[in-house]
Amino acid sequence: MPTLKMTLNGQEVSVDVEPGDLLAYVLRDKLGLIGTKISCGEGECGACTVLVDGKSVDSCIYPALKAQGREVVTIEGLGEDSRLDPIQQAFIDRTAPQCGYCIPGMVISAKALLDETPHPTRKEIEEGISGNLCRCTGYYQIIEAIELARERLAGKGGRG
Amino acid sequence: MWDEYLFPASVEEALEMLEAHGGEARIIAGGTDLVLQSQRGQCPAKAMVDISRISGLDYIEEHNGLIYIGAQVTHGQVAASPLIRSRAGVLAEACGSVGGPQIRNVGTLVGNVVNALPAADGAIALFALDAEAEVAERRGRRWTPIANLYAGVGLCTVDPCAAMITQLRFGALGKGEAGAFERLAKRRALVLPILNAAAIVGLDGDKVEGARIAIGPVAEMPFLAVEAAGTLVGQTPVEERIAWVAQIAAQAAQPRDSLLRGSAEYRKAMVEVLVQRALWRAVKAASLQEGEDANP
Amino acid sequence: MSNKVVGQSVPKIDAATKVRGQRKFPQDFNLEGQLYAKVVWSEYPHARVLKVDVSQAEALPGVVAILTSKDVPVNEYGINIIDQPVLVGEGEKVRWLGDRIAIVIAESEKIAQKACQLVRVEYEPLPVVTDPREAMKPDAPLIHEERSDTNILKHIKIRKGDIEKGFAEADVIIEGYYVTPHVEHAYMQPEAGIGYIDEEGRVTVIAAAQWSHDDLHQISHMLNLPIDQLREIVPAIGGAFGGREDMYIQHLLALCAYCVRRPVKMVFDREESIRNTGKRHPYYMKYRTGATRDGKLTAVEIEIISDAGAYASTSVPVLSNSASFAAGPYIVPNAKVDAYTVYTNNAVAMAMRGFGSTQPAFAYEMQMNKLAEALKIDPVELRMKNLFEDGSIALTGNPMPPGVGIKEALRQTALAAGWGEEDGNWVKPELGPPSAPYKRRGIGVACGYKNVGYSFGFDDRTRVVVDLALDESGEIARALVKLGASDQGMGAHTALAQIAAEALGIDYQKVRMALVDTSMVPNAGSCSASRHVYISGNAVMRACQEALRKREEALRTGERRVSAEYEYRGRSVRPTTPYDGDSGMCNPHISYGYTSQIALVEVDVETGETEVLKVWAAQDVGRAINPEMVKGQAGGGVHMGLGYALTEEFIQKEGLVKTRRFSEYHIPTVADMPREFIPLIVEVADPTGPFGAKGVGEMTTLPTAPAIISAIHDAVGVWIDNLPATAEKVWRAMRSRS
Repeated sequence: MPTLKMTLNGQEVSVDVEPGDLLAYVLRDKLGLIGTKISCGEGECGACTVLVDGKSVDSCIYPALKAQGREVVTIEGLGEDSRLDPIQQAFIDRTAPQCGYCIPGMVISAKALLDETPHPTRKEIEEGISGNLCRCTGYYQIIEAIELARERLAGKGGRG
Repeated sequence: MWDEYLFPASVEEALEMLEAHGGEARIIAGGTDLVLQSQRGQCPAKAMVDISRISGLDYIEEHNGLIYIGAQVTHGQVAASPLIRSRAGVLAEACGSVGGPQIRNVGTLVGNVVNALPAADGAIALFALDAEAEVAERRGRRWTPIANLYAGVGLCTVDPCAAMITQLRFGALGKGEAGAFERLAKRRALVLPILNAAAIVGLDGDKVEGARIAIGPVAEMPFLAVEAAGTLVGQTPVEERIAWVAQIAAQAAQPRDSLLRGSAEYRKAMVEVLVQRALWRAVKAASLQEGEDANP
Repeated sequence: MSNKVVGQSVPKIDAATKVRGQRKFPQDFNLEGQLYAKVVWSEYPHARVLKVDVSQAEALPGVVAILTSKDVPVNEYGINIIDQPVLVGEGEKVRWLGDRIAIVIAESEKIAQKACQLVRVEYEPLPVVTDPREAMKPDAPLIHEERSDTNILKHIKIRKGDIEKGFAEADVIIEGYYVTPHVEHAYMQPEAGIGYIDEEGRVTVIAAAQWSHDDLHQISHMLNLPIDQLREIVPAIGGAFGGREDMYIQHLLALCAYCVRRPVKMVFDREESIRNTGKRHPYYMKYRTGATRDGKLTAVEIEIISDAGAYASTSVPVLSNSASFAAGPYIVPNAKVDAYTVYTNNAVAMAMRGFGSTQPAFAYEMQMNKLAEALKIDPVELRMKNLFEDGSIALTGNPMPPGVGIKEALRQTALAAGWGEEDGNWVKPELGPPSAPYKRRGIGVACGYKNVGYSFGFDDRTRVVVDLALDESGEIARALVKLGASDQGMGAHTALAQIAAEALGIDYQKVRMALVDTSMVPNAGSCSASRHVYISGNAVMRACQEALRKREEALRTGERRVSAEYEYRGRSVRPTTPYDGDSGMCNPHISYGYTSQIALVEVDVETGETEVLKVWAAQDVGRAINPEMVKGQAGGGVHMGLGYALTEEFIQKEGLVKTRRFSEYHIPTVADMPREFIPLIVEVADPTGPFGAKGVGEMTTLPTAPAIISAIHDAVGVWIDNLPATAEKVWRAMRSRS
């Protein structure tokens, strides 16, 4: 069985995978990181979104071995035990999570967006989450959360 | 799914791997289509040859008026490229309409072409741009017009188990040239198109010097409305003329009834609408720009 | 009214675990030594099963057991009518694609899937019944010949006043025929869970469910085990919208655990979930509405035919709801309603946001807007002339209970959308120029109302236990609220915690909601009927009051723990009654929520595409326990209503599902949502609700489709009477008009 070696949430990780394994299932079933969700199984809803070298990808259709040597960030990689990432905090403060199933993917997509475009317009925010489906919220409070995160991150002059 | 996942370091190594597997291995770039096909039993290959680690395939460059796009370039990179946006904006529009950000970050333009579906947005724009693809085989490399890559729905003449496409090229749009891309779909994001159309127009003064119109999915492969485009050449592109050209394009297109996309009648009527809109925007953009920059 | 916690948009109780990705959904659980199960689904929508051969599948290494109908102690279940097999055996019938033949249990999911493909089933196809109108005919093939000699499951009639006289008094009569489709719930979390035997020997299920205690009743019947040997645990639910009211996986997990005595995990993929679980009922609705020249409704005649699909599920209660709401929130002195629900081989139709109030809302609001056009009366003004107030006599002859905020909701929506009002005359606003020469703008109005709590005499009750931990000075250090109320994501637990905090006079942070584990918490009824804030909130409030009384005693004795229990029953305040068999007169519902929406759209006259620019949405919730949560429900309701109106098309042909994936069944993306969304909270209290609160979960989706469809008419002059109004449909309508 081939070994997948990647930097996962800042740590070097090594895991045996089948050649045909997809990243979402490796994260969930082999590495115990259940924060990344599977919803549509065909890259059509973004619930499984993770970052690979800073870019958002649908991990349910991303071959695990494709992440060989890459930096992968999942929802578990945001924030610390004592403190949430500003994006996560903003989601709470704007009452964004309802059922919560789309939320890890939304937060990761928001992170990808804000990392690349620290001052996105509303239109850019919408584009940034246009690959993430939600059935509960109608998206408005999620957009407001990302706008709030944008303001707070700008106020701090950066992340941290 | 497959039993082996390989990372060649060069195009030559990739071709060696394909040959060594005797038709049971195939090239994978982003895999956004391939993974699904494999899951659905539509991709029999036992080994995947992942080209993402080959150095030197990730460029978008211009040389002598030709734009070159490497096999690793994603839809997202094309859509964001300042070069593409200014010198082949129609392709940026097309690539920017594919899926959502996650798909665009991984799926490649070349992969989209190799997948050989008639509705592929990037391919439609490439047809309008009269693009060529470089095919790398064991015996050497050759350039071929993009239309030659299509053997039927989902069938590429370049066998991804024996060869790979390393790059695309097309003429950068110059003075007096501009393109536009139109798309009709069942919702506004994250969806395959019901119909798409790409038009490129070149003006010489107030007359059309050249025009290309590509439409999908109305046939087994992207459809070039040659007769319609020809009607525009030498003419002043006023509204009535453009409407007439769009009508001819619609007459030539033969979409079929589709459960998910809509009736043939509707789709044929929409060909006229999309072609008219794409042409009109292309003409406006072409007549607006003076120098090197074309902004559709 | 000023409260400290109620009325505040406090952070939701589980928001932090959700943004961290720590909150566990059923598929996130794994138990030591677990096996994996997959279902062998029917290949035919209607067929007799001749042979089931599992021998090849059983021989596959790693397969532990294959369950067939012989393994089910009592092979039947049903939430309302017990007409559904757990597994269909040889000699029995499959009645839709979602019927199950076998369950394969194996060491890995991959092996289970492979083994499923090796199960050989022989079918004798039977004629497929796909149209409930055809299915009603006497010569139609029967779906449940063992139960009845007709496919008509239920007929409800309402006869109010004198319908002939009513139409004779009308100056204008509008006729309409409306068809609404199957709708897929499309909750983001596909069905999943684990069944196992717990340390006390109970058959235990971890799964998302809307009524865990009722699930146990059904599982008890299926396994022939007493309820105290069963247990269901509901962790986070990834959306439900009615789709988890019936069991689609809980009983399968229980059966697996019961049979193999090991933990068994099952996860449906999205295709399985769409193909094999229930949908909203398609309705065929014939309406005839009469009104005087000055806009007073005189009569309405309605026929509703509902496609129940292969099994009854809650088709009868849904139909009952529909009939009661059929005429809309309007005073109609004369009415004739005939509502039917009919078996077919289509997808089982079940509860979905609105529970039968959604489809009639489309019809009755389209009728009102057509009437407004015919009478040349402004659509807001026409409604104001006819809408309910406190005490108005409803279709079913009952007076509407206090808290009828529909006029206020409409008033606020219309004013926000730019309507002018003077002395009862309402004037539509100017819409501004369209964004392109080939686009037209239009604006549409709609209202709706929904029951809060169960109906027609069904005993609506919630039992709650509140445990207090007191500190040395006797102050409440912590409160634990225990009830079997599922929180689908709308925030029921948060709202109940807020009510508890308010009632106890403590900080919200001191309240904890217990995990929904049937072995630990009492029956709180279902998470449906928009009922938890009203019914369970009332129970929580009273349990807290009881707990405070007990705390008084504890202060004297020095006891540091206090526990109080309360069961609240809706009938203690507002008894409801079933339909009279001939007249349909009754007191159908306990309380109501009211809603109004206005949509501004642009229609592309060349393609038929509709873009929704703005939606104003007012919901009269009596009292907003958490205003931001109410807005969240409004946004979600509009999302579903917009999908209903424009993008969601569930295609089933000859009983075969054609739209089985999210790439084929299109729920709105962020790009499809109204560019601007203005939610308005209206608070016209129901004095019997906790702090005046009613409910909100379902009603927010009722007016969206009729508002959008009416706006399309305002823009381009065509009425689209069957949903969804796809671009092609609008295009065709425009062409046939010109």
